[in-house]
Amino acid sequence: MNDINKKYTLLNKSDVNANQGVNQGKRTFIGGLVGASGLAVAPGVMLYQTAAAKPLEQAVSSAVRWGMLVNVNQCAEDCDDCVTACNDEHGLWPKEGSTTDSQWIRKLTVKDPSTGNAKSLPMMCQHCENPPCVDVCPTGASFKREDGIVLVNMHTCIGCRYCMMACPYKARSFVHETLENQLPDSPRGKGCVESCNMCVNKIDAGDNTTACAEACSKTGHEAITFGDLNDPESDISTQLKAHGGNQIRADLGLNTGVRYQGL
Amino acid sequence: MRRPLSKLAVLKHSLTLILVLILGMSSVYALDEHAINVPAPKGEECVEDPEWMRVNHFKTVLNHRDDTVIRGIRTEKHSLKNCIDCHITANESGDYARYSNSEEHFCASCHTTAAVTIDCFSCHADRPEHVIRAARQQSQLDALKANSVHVSATKLILNTPQP
Repeated sequence: MNDINKKYTLLNKSDVNANQGVNQGKRTFIGGLVGASGLAVAPGVMLYQTAAAKPLEQAVSSAVRWGMLVNVNQCAEDCDDCVTACNDEHGLWPKEGSTTDSQWIRKLTVKDPSTGNAKSLPMMCQHCENPPCVDVCPTGASFKREDGIVLVNMHTCIGCRYCMMACPYKARSFVHETLENQLPDSPRGKGCVESCNMCVNKIDAGDNTTACAEACSKTGHEAITFGDLNDPESDISTQLKAHGGNQIRADLGLNTGVRYQGL
Repeated sequence: MRRPLSKLAVLKHSLTLILVLILGMSSVYALDEHAINVPAPKGEECVEDPEWMRVNHFKTVLNHRDDTVIRGIRTEKHSLKNCIDCHITANESGDYARYSNSEEHFCASCHTTAAVTIDCFSCHADRPEHVIRAARQQSQLDALKANSVHVSATKLILNTPQP
């Protein structure tokens, strides 16, 4: 039995590695082509879009990929202002007597048992490039927007909760109770699954930030940076270039849009 | 040659005529928007011709919802938020109607009359955002007050010397 398991894992691992190799090879190749054809088509005309506010009537495009970078070293353990700000922005009011209130963002403490080193960090939807929740959704309600934001289309969600099972980050919540006082920009209701939407309402309005990032900088911690991962000059890209950033469960090959420094 | 109508026949015909007249008039009244008392909007003019909107508003809302959710198009013209902001206004005592109040809520007033059961407002806001936020603040204040009353009552009971 052990042998079979071993064989299986080995095979699996090599498969994964081979796949990654091919994909990454392709990506580098295509990236190279784009680079060769020139990111700057003419002086001042760029192929990538800078993170300026898009006109309201324009659809979102894959020229941008929104992401967030969390500097765990700057995240204070006793602070949960990001959670409060998220709840207030989206109207996630706690319901009296309910034990199943939705969490779009939550604070976690992770501890390395060998050294005892503990870190506090915010955990939310990681807005994967290859989201497992989208793979498993039977109705297509779970989808990735062109600009990389992973969302639930609540008009087509049947509440089966398959996505909750598939998500390695436990980022999604199911609404068990009838809700009251929902806000116009965050419609939500009983029977649907929901999660962090990277404040699409704010992004589409051109705010260029999220409620959690805004709240974090207000406290002075500056632990969350929001920005366009496709724009090499954005704050988030320059920080990632200078100091790097880890994906949580990078082994799954999901290419998350939320990265962590100091983990 | 036509036979002259009998008395009974005359009575029958006139009754039918009266009935038709009454039915016709009542249907005219039913179509009259004032008969179902649709609350007045805030703005002066609807984004589309009101006659057209009465028949087709759900189509525009349906199209717009997919454009917004999937493609991130946020034009105001056909957005439900824009409808609500303009059509849901305060009454004389300054209150904003909920969808559950079919007499005063713009959408509900007509849906009830037309026997339309649609489930927009179990998820979507049925009032403008500032009203919802104010209501939320008020309920928090009320909860705080109730809590402090409870605490002071408990203190009173605990501090009262027992006989």
